[in-house]
Amino acid sequence: MLKPSVKLTAFALFTLLVSACESAPAGTQTEDASGEVADLSAPAILALSCSGCHGPQGGAIASLEGRTSDQIRLSLLHYKSDVDGGSVMHRMMRGYTEADIDAISTYLAESVTE
Amino acid sequence: MTDAFLNRRDLLLSLSGVTAFAALPFPAAAQVRARLVVIGGGFGGATAARFLKRAMPSASVTLIEPNADYYACPFSNLVIAGMRDLSKQRFGYDALKAEGIDIVPDAAVDVDPVARTVSVKSGDTLPYDKLVLSPGIDFRWGAIEGYDKAAADLMPHAWKAGPQTVLLRKQLEAMEDGGLVVISVPPAPFRCPPGPYERASLIAHYLKTHKPKSRLLILDAQDKFSKQPLFEQAWSDLYPDVIERYGANEFGRVVSVAPASGILSTEFEDIRADVANVIPPQQAGAIAHKAGVADMTGWCPIDPLSFSSTLQPDIHVIGDATIASPMPKSAFSANLQAKLCALQITAILSGQAPEPTTLTNTCYSYLSDDTAVSITGVYTNADGTLQSVPGSGGLSPLMAEDIIRHNEALQARTWFHTITGQTFG
Ligand SMILES: Cc1cc2nc3c(=O)[nH]c(=O)nc-3n(C[C@H](O)[C@H](O)[C@H](O)COP(=O)(O)OP(=O)(O)OC[C@H]3O[C@@H](n4cnc5c(N)ncnc54)[C@H](O)[C@@H]3O)c2cc1C
Repeated sequence: MLKPSVKLTAFALFTLLVSACESAPAGTQTEDASGEVADLSAPAILALSCSGCHGPQGGAIASLEGRTSDQIRLSLLHYKSDVDGGSVMHRMMRGYTEADIDAISTYLAESVTE
Repeated sequence: MTDAFLNRRDLLLSLSGVTAFAALPFPAAAQVRARLVVIGGGFGGATAARFLKRAMPSASVTLIEPNADYYACPFSNLVIAGMRDLSKQRFGYDALKAEGIDIVPDAAVDVDPVARTVSVKSGDTLPYDKLVLSPGIDFRWGAIEGYDKAAADLMPHAWKAGPQTVLLRKQLEAMEDGGLVVISVPPAPFRCPPGPYERASLIAHYLKTHKPKSRLLILDAQDKFSKQPLFEQAWSDLYPDVIERYGANEFGRVVSVAPASGILSTEFEDIRADVANVIPPQQAGAIAHKAGVADMTGWCPIDPLSFSSTLQPDIHVIGDATIASPMPKSAFSANLQAKLCALQITAILSGQAPEPTTLTNTCYSYLSDDTAVSITGVYTNADGTLQSVPGSGGLSPLMAEDIIRHNEALQARTWFHTITGQTFG
């Protein structure tokens, strides 16, 4: 029986992006025979921008591992609304809607796990 | 086979010659796979190859790149200023090989967009279903009279990292105190808009520390430049008697050079430099022109949803070679465009239409050995072009305590570590 070659879940790509960890998120989607999956959802694509800086090792840029969606959402909303802030994150978050921030936070919390 | 599995996606996959991977009773059928070829193993191409392979493990992904070692340009200005070893700029392709990407150690010499083939220097021909081009830049040799490939041995550009970086470093080391360093900046667009001014800052730091009677002159074909208020503030605070700059409206544009005698000529005067760093005018890498994806400007127009060429089917172009303004020609942009492009190619091969999204860029520039500033942009690709999102992005604050500049220097290091790890690690 035919199966599409491209399977989509919310995990493998961000794992590649920000973390070396290999475990799958609980019950999102089915993997194909190879166990490889790609997430083409809007939140996954939106979150690509985060991955250029937020690696697993942290350093001077915070690692996102182990953060809950609320933690991520609150700090992103703070950056967006804090008019006096001049950091990279302040300047960046002013370009995102609250809906974007919700989507990114949920996605990152699900996909960047230990 | 049941109808439940025969959806639009499967039909499209077979129509495009890309048969769905499946546990079919006939193994041969499962051998038909999408053939994905990437030209150029820099920040754009190496990232694209990895993300294509990750997203479509049953596809074959081939990366064509002639050099076994890649020397990263970001942080290479620190090497020029004697603050960093070139070996820290070197990366390779072993990790990509280990992920199942075929590396062809050769240069692509032609692309036939109708037959959908790439030919490489050795004479081989590689067929593709989708081709991603990330060849970076080539120089417009001769656009400055007298500045050709041979001239770069005397007046290095150091705008592709590697031996050129070392050459410029050695020239600075050999220069006597009291010498004049000249940096010639080309007209926009060029790779890394703040790069020449970061370089000027770091060379000035070297001169001030080791050769305090020396001077640095920027001969600039631009009037305004990236992060200008921040650089100018730093120059007057840190290097008040070292750096001078002539913008385009002060006859700063270099029109010709005489490499043997160290002379750079503007329309106004001839200047003899002890060390001349000529950053030449630029265009998309030559293979982009061969493939017919570059236009009259010398750069490649793209549809920003998936970075598909607007000139040729089944070819995507990413990185410095593209017309993606206001996104700058940066490693950050090339890396992000690569990820987006790889996922959108996956979507297209799965019968889905790419949806608009939001992209970003952040570039750090060093002002001294331990301080840096940044520029950030947020872009939407919703209306057929890339546009900055109003009210977002911008520069580090002009009035800032040292700690902020120090922090951004540390962030820059973390960024370099992360982005090179993602691309090559
Ligand atoms: C001094 C300097 C400082 C910089 N600092 C920063 C910074 O701090 N942050 C930042 O984000 N960016 C920075 N950049 C910019 C960054 O280096 C480029 O934007 C980035 O390298 C672009 O990636 P690319 O994939 O388009 O091209 P490249 O990285 O140049 O890769 C192109 C690759 O294609 C290969 N190639 C070319 N033609 C062919 C062919 N015909 N066949 C096969 N392979 C081919 C080349 O060998 C090369 O490996 C800096 C640049 C310079 C010069």
